[in-house]
Amino acid sequence: MASFARSSLLRQSLATRSPFMRQNVGVSQAVAFHASARKQILPPQPQSIEGTMNDPVPVPSPSPMHGSYHWTFERAVAVGLIPLSIAPFAAGSLNPVMDAVLCTLLVAHSHIGFEAAIVDYFRPQRVPKTYSLCQWLLRAFTLTTAVGLYEFETNDVGVTEALRRIWNA
Amino acid sequence: MASLRTTSRLFAASRPLFRPAAFARSYATVEATKNVDPIPSENPSMKTFKVYRWNPDTPSEKPTMESYQLDLKKTGPMMLDALIRIKNEIDPTLTFRRSCREGICGSCAMNIDGVNTLACLCRIPTDTASESRIYPLPHTYVVKDLVPDLTLFYKQYKSIKPYLQNDTPTADGLENRQSPEDRKKLDGLYECILCACCSTSCPSYWWNSEEYLGPAILLQSYRWLIDSRDEKTAERKAALDNSMSVYRCHTILNCTRTCPKGLNPGRAIAETKKILAA
Repeated sequence: MASFARSSLLRQSLATRSPFMRQNVGVSQAVAFHASARKQILPPQPQSIEGTMNDPVPVPSPSPMHGSYHWTFERAVAVGLIPLSIAPFAAGSLNPVMDAVLCTLLVAHSHIGFEAAIVDYFRPQRVPKTYSLCQWLLRAFTLTTAVGLYEFETNDVGVTEALRRIWNA
Repeated sequence: MASLRTTSRLFAASRPLFRPAAFARSYATVEATKNVDPIPSENPSMKTFKVYRWNPDTPSEKPTMESYQLDLKKTGPMMLDALIRIKNEIDPTLTFRRSCREGICGSCAMNIDGVNTLACLCRIPTDTASESRIYPLPHTYVVKDLVPDLTLFYKQYKSIKPYLQNDTPTADGLENRQSPEDRKKLDGLYECILCACCSTSCPSYWWNSEEYLGPAILLQSYRWLIDSRDEKTAERKAALDNSMSVYRCHTILNCTRTCPKGLNPGRAIAETKKILAA
């Protein structure tokens, strides 16, 4: 408390003595009336270049599990979802196996999609804590969704039947 | 003092919002005499150009948009002509890169009326009622005015080894030859002049430029991947096979839309993904 008072007193005495006081007031007023916000979300940092101008940027070591295999899997899931989401309604029959596959692919698809968004917008170099928080949040949500869908499939009517009922309601 | 201010405000409000450009010079304001075409023609068609200005010598000052008025009848048809006229005849402190003035060097890449393009290939819209706004390439570190810092871009280009890697001597000791069909695969790729218009229009490159290579570099990388004479295809593929280098591309296709040379970096990246998956 004492430090608070002292610092503000100091500031006041400094301000009365300062020849730039008027200018400071003007700047703060201008800032207060400015339409654009001074505060930005994740403002760009100063430029940092690793090495000299003539060095190439470091090439990452190959990791197909995060590269080509991941992409192929992602595309396979996305393509597989198309017939799986049409088939039960087109066939008009209820198959628990088909339902289970559809739910698995849906969960995988949404997990991959959200993960891509997190990697894009919360860079681990820039915001490491936010990055890992988001990753763990996503894992928790995916797990909850998976467990919920399993319960829904085993103890209730299942996704396809539920959608059919909502559609016909 | 207060009364003075009120009158001046009233006066300002009573001015017409849109005054004909021909009379612009008759107003004796500092702005007008400073940045208006000094030698307009008899019946001038004056167009306003708003140009991004930032001077590294005064780093605490914010970037500003400075407006210049040029007589289109005395200016060449392209944006670069307008910029060169501004620099030569109105404001010599305006800074921008230019070299070939015919779209082959890629120096004058900038953001004109919201689109990344080469100033030398971009026509000045003849509609004098609307102003043209010229910015440096978006999401780049600005060196001065319209000059972006492309150091990282060139370092990334170097990292893909943009040269023929072939250690096997040919049978007759002459140059490495390829069939017309193989040569045809390089059409639409070798024309890239590395102006960085596509890379700086890509949102993924805006967010992750440190790791994602960006459309221009990936197009060049694809150009060497499919070259029939290159022997290091496996190494080139391995260098791209990670989560960041290629796969931050989400097929937004701003690159293809903006390319001033009419190339298709989006297709090159898609083909690269197919090659990597195969």
